[in-house]
Amino acid sequence: MTAARVAPASATAPPGDAEPLMRVAGFTKHFGEVQANTDVEFEVRAGEVHALVGENGAGKSTLLKMIYGVYHPDAGRMIVDGAEVIPGSPAEARALGIGMVFQDLRLVPALTVTENIALALEGGQLLRLDSLARRIAAASERHGLAVHPKSRVQHLSIGERQRVEILKVLMTGARLVILDEPTSVLAPQEVEALFGIVRHLRDQGFGVVIVTHKLPEVRQIADRATVLRAGRTVLSGVDPADYGDDELIEAMVGHSVPALATERSLVDVAASPVLEISDVSSRGDRGHEALKGISLVVRPGELVGVAGVAGSGQRELCEVALGLRETTRGSVKVAGILASNPRRVLAAGAASVPEDPVGDAVVARLSVLDHMAIDGRPLPKRRWGIDWHGIRRRTDHADARLGLRIAPRHRRLSDLSGGNIQRVLLTRELGLDAKLVVAAYPSRGLDVSNVRRTQQILLERRAEGAGVLMISEDLDELMAMADRIVVMHDGHIAGELAAADFERQRIGRLMIGGAA
Amino acid sequence: MTVTTEPPAAAPPLAPPPRRSAGERARAALPIVARWAAALLGAVVVFSALIVFKGANPLEVFPDMWLSTFGRPRSVSEIVIAMAPLILAALAVVVPARAGMSNVGGEGQVIVGAIAACGVALATDGTLPGPLVLALMMVAGVAAGAAWAGVAGVLRLGFQVNEAVSTLLLNFVALDLLLFLIYQPWRESAAGQPTTPELADAAKLPLLTGSTVHIGIVLAVLATIAVFLVLRFTRWGFRLSVVGGNAEAARRAGMPVPALLLSALLVGGALAGLAGVVEYAGVEYKLRPGFGAQIGYVGFLASWLARHRPVPVLVAAFVFAGLAVAGGSLQLDAQLPAATVNILTALILMAVLGFTQRKARRA
Amino acid sequence: MSIIIDVLTGGVRGGTSILYAALGETVSERAGVINLGTEGGMLGGALCAYIVCAETGNPWLGVLAGGVAGFILALIHGLLVVWRGANQFAVGLTILFFALGLTSLFGASYVGRSIIPFTPVKIPLLGDIPVIGPILFNQDPIVYGSYLVVPLVWFILFRTRMGLLIRTAGERSEALTVHGISPRKVRILAVAAGGFLGGVGGAHLSIAYTNTWFENMVAGRGFIAVALVIFASWSPLRVLAGAYLFGAALALGPALQARGFAINQFALHVVPFVLTLVVLAVLGRRTISAAPAELKRVFENGPPDP
Repeated sequence: MTAARVAPASATAPPGDAEPLMRVAGFTKHFGEVQANTDVEFEVRAGEVHALVGENGAGKSTLLKMIYGVYHPDAGRMIVDGAEVIPGSPAEARALGIGMVFQDLRLVPALTVTENIALALEGGQLLRLDSLARRIAAASERHGLAVHPKSRVQHLSIGERQRVEILKVLMTGARLVILDEPTSVLAPQEVEALFGIVRHLRDQGFGVVIVTHKLPEVRQIADRATVLRAGRTVLSGVDPADYGDDELIEAMVGHSVPALATERSLVDVAASPVLEISDVSSRGDRGHEALKGISLVVRPGELVGVAGVAGSGQRELCEVALGLRETTRGSVKVAGILASNPRRVLAAGAASVPEDPVGDAVVARLSVLDHMAIDGRPLPKRRWGIDWHGIRRRTDHADARLGLRIAPRHRRLSDLSGGNIQRVLLTRELGLDAKLVVAAYPSRGLDVSNVRRTQQILLERRAEGAGVLMISEDLDELMAMADRIVVMHDGHIAGELAAADFERQRIGRLMIGGAA
Repeated sequence: MTVTTEPPAAAPPLAPPPRRSAGERARAALPIVARWAAALLGAVVVFSALIVFKGANPLEVFPDMWLSTFGRPRSVSEIVIAMAPLILAALAVVVPARAGMSNVGGEGQVIVGAIAACGVALATDGTLPGPLVLALMMVAGVAAGAAWAGVAGVLRLGFQVNEAVSTLLLNFVALDLLLFLIYQPWRESAAGQPTTPELADAAKLPLLTGSTVHIGIVLAVLATIAVFLVLRFTRWGFRLSVVGGNAEAARRAGMPVPALLLSALLVGGALAGLAGVVEYAGVEYKLRPGFGAQIGYVGFLASWLARHRPVPVLVAAFVFAGLAVAGGSLQLDAQLPAATVNILTALILMAVLGFTQRKARRA
Repeated sequence: MSIIIDVLTGGVRGGTSILYAALGETVSERAGVINLGTEGGMLGGALCAYIVCAETGNPWLGVLAGGVAGFILALIHGLLVVWRGANQFAVGLTILFFALGLTSLFGASYVGRSIIPFTPVKIPLLGDIPVIGPILFNQDPIVYGSYLVVPLVWFILFRTRMGLLIRTAGERSEALTVHGISPRKVRILAVAAGGFLGGVGGAHLSIAYTNTWFENMVAGRGFIAVALVIFASWSPLRVLAGAYLFGAALALGPALQARGFAINQFALHVVPFVLTLVVLAVLGRRTISAAPAELKRVFENGPPDP
């Protein structure tokens, strides 16, 4: 089906009265013990922009993947065009007129725009690229999507790639277009352009779902909004204009539970910092500017929390602090030593809990004990070889002290679960008497009791005089533990709050790019 | 959130390590044993079918092969002699593989090792005592092999040229160098076969007392033990495992990743160079076209058969050396060309590579 | 002048087997699989072509048989690598040994046997053009076939849906899975189809170029083809140029010697290999960045957990 044929009749009807294009009722899905979606209600009408809002882990992508036929719901009904149907595969979803633009765009970078779209369209053996290119040009004009059919995708900006994806979805006959966090990877002016396209689509009668964390965007683009929290629908299909910012934030992050006062030792402000980041900029793996002039100081005996929506530059911040990523501007010092490479940083007394344990720290074939030896310190010598007895003793000591009860020393890491891997890495890094601990999501993958224990260990390290930089998605955790919270947004530090000023709403506003 | 006020909840104890009886362990190992058995049987069956097609009777061929390979002392010596350079060439693959690299260039490194040894022999030309010449040849061969692999290492680290491709190409460069030398400057006589003059007896590898086997096998076994110990116990060996398993983890732990990669390739090349010296000073005594009979490639495959572990390399080299000797008997007994055993070699490898390991996670 | 014509004619004639093999390897590598077994596939192709040619007297059937032999050997490579997840380099060399053994077993009785080979056929008019005529249009039919196969491979890769699927399998296999196509199937078939071309290349060696059969007659041409594809950054047209360049380097020695120049044939023979290494080093980063993404994975990762 081509886009031209689908301009629905309902385009002229006022959105409020239209029969929904797609409606989901009672969608429930669990993975193991995790209840990802519980009784979710969601509907999209033709000619509306519907924002799907929620924190990371609120269940948005599970919901979308069920709608797109990637996952199958455990329970619930889905109605498309008045008929009850649950797509069993993405192909079936596409046949129903549902199109999805994934956050990590699924284009083939080495191919041209035309070839990428040809891949998605049915057709004969001959590609007829020229006529397809003309069709693409025509469709791109009709939908207001400026796209050059013959450019190679790898030469396009992220915003242009997004337009190609949208065009591809439209040309395969979608009437419902789902955009999964489309603005998270875009520069502000590109966001403007995208919203122009989205409005144009709405005016042509398409239903558009846009996933976002950012309240200003919801206000700017959405006709209606659905808010998910912890896998449940908190607000379903409401007009965002009827709600204040605080109400929407509370819907997203839950009721503010006052944090129990943590005993905070006084930080000696005069002490020379263990981490000093001065006006640092750096590029991310995709070549975009991931850090934009960050300045940050961590002093001995201080725990600085970093809050922010995922992908705001936290990973790059950790890597810059550890000498793992080059800076394009500014300087990083760890305990007074310039952090130009990982060896210097480790020698200066840094320890770290990596963001992605499997990719960054795990050597599948090696054992627990082997991993305890890869702690960034020189391997202890014993005659020609390694002093494994010493490492074993050190490991036992650290395990006894930290109490995370790591797996038997001979087990291969490839045989351990994520939580057990995390406990090994935590025991290794937090067992060191480091001056600086950079902990990215330290409690990820752990069960409740180990989360507690890990938090306590971090606080103990702080009490012993270490400086801790801690990244977390859990605001409660940060507010309970940190002496200061730095909020990152889009590679900047959007704000910094002292313990006395911790307040969920304020942090939440800073995270989504608003003013404190 | 009660972080400091609540006592730590006890971490749930990890499930105790499964303690299994010998019987249970045997049962767990059974599928692996069965897989190996089935794979090898499959190889033999396919091979039989092929030679039947050629008019030979496998029921006669296999016992003949077995008898003439293991039934005669001379054949057993031949196997041991053939094993020595093969072991070294396989170790030349094992060490870089530990660091996650493919050294397909054993062939070239073996050849330049032999060329360097021959160069030393020609340069000294009887002016030095034999054992000293032999020692110099070994030093030169090891250095040449390492340098040849080092070219690939520099290409990889400095220019991002994949080492599998570059070592492979360097094999042909080495081969042409060999041919050039034996056809022109080093040729014994313009009239005869294109070979270098024979190595002086005093500089040949000495024989083990009371046998026809030279001491190359001792060198090779010592090298295997050394590689095993170094990879298993030294800090360098441990760091190679980390780099080979996850280079990012190594970098984050402050390890000098490029130096580790380069050193692994250099050591690999040195071992292959030594294999060249052993083949030259222990078996062939002169360079000729076809020198070495593809020791480098067979060594590469032997390393794969041994799954890149040093001690099993001894077994793999024994298997391939045995097959090579059996090839000779095929020619004698069944009038099949000696190279026919390459089929069996390949079938065994296909079976082992494709059907005895866990399937790859992704296509 | 005549030496240039001699060298270029020899370059086209001697480069054709490499050209076919490298085109096949291009298809295979575009799908993300390196086939070092190409050397073995050419060997198998050379022998099968020779046998069929000798037995039937029909060289055309010989070419077909050569292609089929290459197809089967590459299919084994594809199955082991893609389906069973075995290491590409190890399987490639195994295939070579397999082919060495098989051709030795089945070829022994054909050593020294004569065949009626392909002979150069001068194309009317075109063959009379000075310089270009003798170089390009006084060749054997397999050479003429390559003039068609080069654009055909290009067309299939870049202008048909099948080619699009092959390239996508080599770039980002998830993009196929999304559309319900199995990237494994695409890859295995691409490797096998590439092997067919390699087998035809081998056939050219035995029944049009040397017109004889002897053990290991391919002598590294298959490996040159693999390197050539990287050198040509996976483009069929650049593969054509590269193959003739290599062929010319091989033809230069004999041509000079025939005119009484004492030139070192080994120094010439080594040129293609050194040239490839130099080009890979100079273009290193750029070449690798042009590589199909799945191939980069092979290049960047070492041997998998054995």
